Amino acid sequence: MEDQDHEGKKILVIQTHGVATPTRTYSPLFYAMAAAAMEMEVMVWFTMDGTNQLKKGEAEKVQLVKDSNVNLKTMLEMAMDSEVELRVCQQSLELWDMQPEDLIDGVDILGATSIIDLSLSYDHVMYF
Amino acid sequence: MAHEKVNGCVILKDLYYNVDNNTWVRIIDDSTVAVGMTDVAQNLAGPLLHAKTKKVGTGRKLGKPIATVESGKYVGPVKSPVTGEITKINDALSSDAGLINKSPYNNGWIVEMKTDDLSADLATMVSGDDAVAAYKEKIERDNIQACEQIEGADTYD
Repeated sequence: MEDQDHEGKKILVIQTHGVATPTRTYSPLFYAMAAAAMEMEVMVWFTMDGTNQLKKGEAEKVQLVKDSNVNLKTMLEMAMDSEVELRVCQQSLELWDMQPEDLIDGVDILGATSIIDLSLSYDHVMYF
Repeated sequence: MAHEKVNGCVILKDLYYNVDNNTWVRIIDDSTVAVGMTDVAQNLAGPLLHAKTKKVGTGRKLGKPIATVESGKYVGPVKSPVTGEITKINDALSSDAGLINKSPYNNGWIVEMKTDDLSADLATMVSGDDAVAAYKEKIERDNIQACEQIEGADTYD
């Protein structure tokens, strides 16, 4: 495998899975953090079921490894600490009867047209 | 070798530390240094599975990544404590990233770098008793768990 340097590339991660499927929640964030560590610009876009993990009080309940000090909330916080940008779909909030004030801190809301612009402007899109 | 343990974490007094980024620097000559992760850093990351270093010849400004490391629970950059060019990488890490856990200050070194202005870089770091004091404060402030013993830890008792 050619070992290229991809610093400066832009990665968009789309997360459609939420708290009902815990084993599908960590990996997209882990990949996002890996890309950020490699000096890429990374955004995670939460839509569909993915939206509900951003509701205050929900992510803390998702823990893959028993007795670990890591849960989905800490994963989201670690991603933000790594300068991964978190965005949520405006229309998906309604699916879960969520208001903007229900969101954890650090998450911005964008409309559906933005996802089209973003997916075209980023270098690569990873869809989960 | 002069050293101190803070909450079980080994701090070698003859090295220079960027405490925020948890990296150390060992001076090789007037402008060349070896760089690695501290005992605190490897302990926080957990057993490392992969370490991917930047290539020889890569120019780095202070704070830019010289490598990325990942464990089962962590992935993140190793940020350069100096500005300069990578002149040598530790090839052994590509097959055994755990060397960083076992021997963070010796066999687990990450890169060597030719610095642009070593004295300016060293002015941003701490060494000796100042490093020990800085790590005491960091470990307390961040509530860092006790370090597990590293290879040859008895050398540091």
